[in-house]
Amino acid sequence: MPDPKIDFTHRYKYVPSDFIKHLATTTLVIAVLAVALSAAFREPVRPALKISTVATQNPVLFEKVAMGDLNGTGQIATYGPPYNGGTGSVQSPMQRIVGVIHPVNPKVDFILKPLRMAASLNPSVGAALRVWDAAPAARQQVWASRYQAALAHARTVNGRVVVPHGAYGPVPMMMQGLLELGRSGLMTGALDRSPADYQFDNMNALLFLQGAPLHNAASRLELLGNQWGIIHEENAPYPGPWWMTIVTAIYQIPFISHASSGDAMALAIGMLLFLILMFAPWIPGINRLPHHLGVYRLIWKDYYRDHDQPKPSAEASP
Amino acid sequence: MNWTDYLRGKMGQLFSVDVWLPRDLPEYAFGVLYTLGSLTASSFVVLVVSGVVMAANGPQWWTVSAIGFFFRGIHFWSVQAFFFFMILHLLRVFFSGAWRGGRERTWLLGTLSLLIAVPTAFTGYLMRGDFYSQWNAVQAKDGLNALGLAWFNVLNAGQMYGLHVVVLPLILGLLIMLHIILIRVKGVVPPYPSRGETPVGLDEEGAHDAGS
Repeated sequence: MPDPKIDFTHRYKYVPSDFIKHLATTTLVIAVLAVALSAAFREPVRPALKISTVATQNPVLFEKVAMGDLNGTGQIATYGPPYNGGTGSVQSPMQRIVGVIHPVNPKVDFILKPLRMAASLNPSVGAALRVWDAAPAARQQVWASRYQAALAHARTVNGRVVVPHGAYGPVPMMMQGLLELGRSGLMTGALDRSPADYQFDNMNALLFLQGAPLHNAASRLELLGNQWGIIHEENAPYPGPWWMTIVTAIYQIPFISHASSGDAMALAIGMLLFLILMFAPWIPGINRLPHHLGVYRLIWKDYYRDHDQPKPSAEASP
Repeated sequence: MNWTDYLRGKMGQLFSVDVWLPRDLPEYAFGVLYTLGSLTASSFVVLVVSGVVMAANGPQWWTVSAIGFFFRGIHFWSVQAFFFFMILHLLRVFFSGAWRGGRERTWLLGTLSLLIAVPTAFTGYLMRGDFYSQWNAVQAKDGLNALGLAWFNVLNAGQMYGLHVVVLPLILGLLIMLHIILIRVKGVVPPYPSRGETPVGLDEEGAHDAGS
């Protein structure tokens, strides 16, 4: 019997090799390859979607997003944890248990706070805000709901959003002020979450854009979830993060892509598949699969060529 | 137990010249298929070096400087190489049944490296500062929030930057190092017994589950 303390690879013949030269060579190969590919093909870039671009190119969409935030009907206003107390996007009990750890109040943070900043540059915004602030909540709600409904029939005339005549209170003036703030490029700064004007966290700007503006842009680039979005790299011939293929594939299953808790399900299934891979050595059946598949005979082709004995009888084979 | 003595014993074993600078390798561990793991580790080295240069210049660098953009390209292509060779390496070791002979932990650490490599790369994609970063941040948030992982705030570029340049690469580097230590200590898994071979003291899987 072999000494159990000696690893059984010691039963095999050893061949001299230069381990360090091998590692130095592979590192040099990768370094040269990466430098050459970067020089020859550069890498993918997709220009970011700016708030100013949305406000300039699609003012009606901009106001629709803003009204969802002001009126409390938008996706983030109704989202739930970790942003607020809503229920609109709660997919699991875990989400509720974590609670509101990144508080966001879209009405105040996305609309009223930036408008108060804009008021110091634009007196008409200040006047509209004073009317808004003086009105009871119920009246504010009526104005906002009417204007939100009217946006369905809105047109853009000389850069201004024009809606059918109605009693909207100060809301059209507020929206015009916000639109101008958006166009100026200053709104991203107004959405800063840092109390010290020292910006590292762009969460509010991304949450403001996260609905229709980013989705419309992504749809044009075929980046939506049901378009294998995460692993796509635009139309350029660049590889994307193809290592996410399995999770992205799970999103293509209709049952999951249509479920309200689809994100949680897709990630959970992906994790489960990964756990199977991770614990393969301990899972009966899977741990013997490579032996049954026989691909190892190709991997060690030379070894078996030298070591296999001719087939004298069936009992000798493993 | 004397902790110092324990560490002296362990470290003497782990950091010996024989473990780290082998002068010969088993006859079956040669060829291109046995270079895939090294190519993966080498890609990680290029990733770290290019990443350190980029980190030293700050997260705006590659959006405003041609040299920064060039380094982002090196980083981009080396992450492609890293996953490409890692997956090929994974396939090679899977089809070799590489966990046999008490090498389960080596396999486990390798797969854990893949698991950690995915968010490491993902947080890097969030650092591009372009539409891809915006879109993936807002798309990923719902799944993470749903799984109770809202702490991992993909919309907070500052947090993602810290995770991408320090926390995740440190964990990944540690896992890769432990993986390589185990490969060196345990040796490379030998072939399944050849035709006609009677493995003394080993079962047909190469001693992995002898007695089971």
